Amino acid sequence: MVKVLCVAEKSSVAKAVAGHLSGGRFQTRQTGNKYIRNYDFDYKFNQWDHCEVTMTAVQGHTEEIDFVDRFRKWSDCDPVELFDAPITKNIEKDKRSIADNIQKEARNATILFIWTDCDREGEYIGTEVRTFAKRGNPNIQVKRAQFSNIEKSHVIRAAHNPKDLDERQALAVSARMELDLRIGAALTRFQSLKLQGRWGLAGDALISYGSCQFPTLGFVVERYMRVKNFVPEPFWSLKLMHTRDGTSTTYNWDRSRLFDRMAVVLLFESCMSSPDALVKSVARKPTRKYKPLPLTTVELQKQGSRFLGMNSQRVMKAAEGLYTSGFISYPRTETDQYDQAVNLQALIGKQTNDTGGWGWGDYATGLLDGAFEQPRRGKNNDKAHPPIHPVAYAASAALADADQRKVYEFVVRHFLACCSEDAIGETTTVNIDYGGEGFHASGLTVLERNYLDVYPWDRWESSQMLPRYQEGERFVPNEVTMTDGKTSAPGYLTEPELIALMDANGIGTDATMAEHIEKIQQREYVFCISGGGKSTGTSRGRGRGRGRGGRDAGGSGRAEGGGGKNVFVPSNLGVALVEAYDTIAAEMSLSRPFLRKEMEVNMKRICKGELAREDVVHQCLEQYRGVYARVSQHLSTYRETEAKARHPCVVD
Amino acid sequence: MAPSLAIQISGHLVSTKSILPSQTWLASFLSTQKSNLPFQSLTQTALFRLLASEITISVQPTPENIFPATIHDLENRSSRLKGPVVAQIVDIEDIGHSKLFQLDALESAERGEKTKGKEVIRVIPGEQDDNDPDNLGLTGASGPHKLLLEDANGTRVYAFEFKPITGVGIGMNIGTKVVIRDVKVVRGVLMLQPGNTTMVGGKVEELHKNWREERKGRLKAEIEAMKEDG
Repeated sequence: MVKVLCVAEKSSVAKAVAGHLSGGRFQTRQTGNKYIRNYDFDYKFNQWDHCEVTMTAVQGHTEEIDFVDRFRKWSDCDPVELFDAPITKNIEKDKRSIADNIQKEARNATILFIWTDCDREGEYIGTEVRTFAKRGNPNIQVKRAQFSNIEKSHVIRAAHNPKDLDERQALAVSARMELDLRIGAALTRFQSLKLQGRWGLAGDALISYGSCQFPTLGFVVERYMRVKNFVPEPFWSLKLMHTRDGTSTTYNWDRSRLFDRMAVVLLFESCMSSPDALVKSVARKPTRKYKPLPLTTVELQKQGSRFLGMNSQRVMKAAEGLYTSGFISYPRTETDQYDQAVNLQALIGKQTNDTGGWGWGDYATGLLDGAFEQPRRGKNNDKAHPPIHPVAYAASAALADADQRKVYEFVVRHFLACCSEDAIGETTTVNIDYGGEGFHASGLTVLERNYLDVYPWDRWESSQMLPRYQEGERFVPNEVTMTDGKTSAPGYLTEPELIALMDANGIGTDATMAEHIEKIQQREYVFCISGGGKSTGTSRGRGRGRGRGGRDAGGSGRAEGGGGKNVFVPSNLGVALVEAYDTIAAEMSLSRPFLRKEMEVNMKRICKGELAREDVVHQCLEQYRGVYARVSQHLSTYRETEAKARHPCVVD
Repeated sequence: MAPSLAIQISGHLVSTKSILPSQTWLASFLSTQKSNLPFQSLTQTALFRLLASEITISVQPTPENIFPATIHDLENRSSRLKGPVVAQIVDIEDIGHSKLFQLDALESAERGEKTKGKEVIRVIPGEQDDNDPDNLGLTGASGPHKLLLEDANGTRVYAFEFKPITGVGIGMNIGTKVVIRDVKVVRGVLMLQPGNTTMVGGKVEELHKNWREERKGRLKAEIEAMKEDG
């Protein structure tokens, strides 16, 4: 009998897949690693017939890349050498046993069947697994399973349709790893060594640089400066009131507001000289509130913060858990359109018998009884995974914790909303002319709620009914007033806003955004504070006053688990770093997203086979070598800018 | 030959553009031209030069083509100015947007960055979809604008762009000549709209250059002043 060695990216996936293929009848063996088990069973693959199968796993990356020994210690070389220093691959200390297990199991296997997650990172991890297996058996055949969730029928289909590893995606990952290592290490060592022990920084302070970290920090600093430099400006406006049939209607000025008092006074006067107002049009227009687009990772993270009160890391952790338990599809996807092949009705069908107390069973039944409508099609398709959707029904009590319950509920409700009709309403807009100035009032009547019934996070309510007006009639307004106001400062950056900025500007991937956000907090470049202005225990209302944001808060400002109201403000160190690079290497704009975006675009081109890995790495390193040279030439400016920007915290 | 040529050119500019050149300016212009040029091209050149020069030098004031002496009367709630008045635009301000917004847009345009939705894009000069080639921070919707006009006598009057006029905007040439007819005047301010304002064109290089150079400083100073008020 042919022996097949299957390797998944995580042990939970290995166990789930083994369970599905063997129908739950497998033998478990210990390995040299306490987290990894080998599962043995027989299986009849369409393509290989009856086989003896061993299913095991790695734990994400097994190898790490690093510089060869001579360059590893900070004191042993000039950081600039790291742009060219030789690199080696090492198996991470505690993962030796994982590699050994694969090598050993491969010895008497004919086929290696790789079950790592189907994304760029998974493709690369697949190549690592292949390396270990070939050490045990150089002639082993290598295949790869293509799957995007761990629901039984999907897994079985993947088992019968093996594909090949995508070498280009693996190359793109290896290019990114090399660039991150070289650029990160060179600049981190440089700036740490030059700044340690100055301005209150510890003598061994780690001031890290990362090509995603920095633009992420840049977004936070940019918004912070915008808030800090904000000056409220006065504006003026006109407003008209009219009461009819006991209902008072406020008409807003078509010009909204002007920043010149004289102009508004003149327009106000010219209005007032008119005896009455003319109804120019009464328009009734059908309107709809669109149901949400199919769910991507970025959207899940944004909504998680906004609706569920969880930060992106927590959302993703819960989603991973739901995925490995086989309740939802792979939670890392950029796709916001469903392929025709996906049987949406069947997926809805799993939610109709809602015995677990979520309350959407009848709604799902209604969809199958005729209310179903094809989901909207977004513009993105990563060709690897469908949008995030539920693959199996889970009763509330069956889920591990509150986070998983919240995320599962969100995913299911979002999915059902996608398969529903848009909400339908009607707006009535009355446009009037008063002394040459236009005013308008409008009202909304919601006619059919549709998806809103299952998606409580969207609000769309009927407004007060407008009284009847006839086109061409004239009326005398009860009151016309000139109002004034002041522009108000933007808020500090919220997590959904930051994710949206990173996404739009190609900083990080859906898989890594949350990590970058976490990293700049760990480094104390930014703090997450409660943005509502109410002091929560430890945050002492920081960030409310202008120009504050001292580093004295240490980690105390980190508001754990708070809701979507949390905002990011930079520490003085964060501001100083951005200002220093902006001053010295302005045209490289390290705190802006351009360089990193270019890198990401190049990664995608490697995947498409348009660019060679070596060319991309070379070209990118040259750019950063330029930055490095500039910063080291202008070391004194660099330190001065740092000192200046950090100065306020001394006073503080 | 020369005097009648001057009269012919004046007549042509008045009938086609409602602009009467000053005799001294025209004479000095003609003295620099070759006498054998056809009338058509000579008139064209004269118009071009006139539009590019200071209105107080090149346009002949007449009782109709200048602002009346009573124009600044603040008690005058509403009157009509028949014209046609010839004027040049010496200043323009977008009063539909805050100064800070305009300054931000200007500064990021200078850095070569523009935003497209949430995406910050780096604009390569001369790119086709660049609708702000001079990096003035022009944003999609702008205005309405407040303008400062100057007539042939050097009298300056404020005007409000009551309805959008094509060609009026922050990116316009300073010194552009306009002809205004039958316009409503409210407490010394002209209410301009497409029906009463003809954009003739032109640019006074020095005015234009100064205006552009000073814009950022002015925005900053105005914001600074508001900071103190606030």
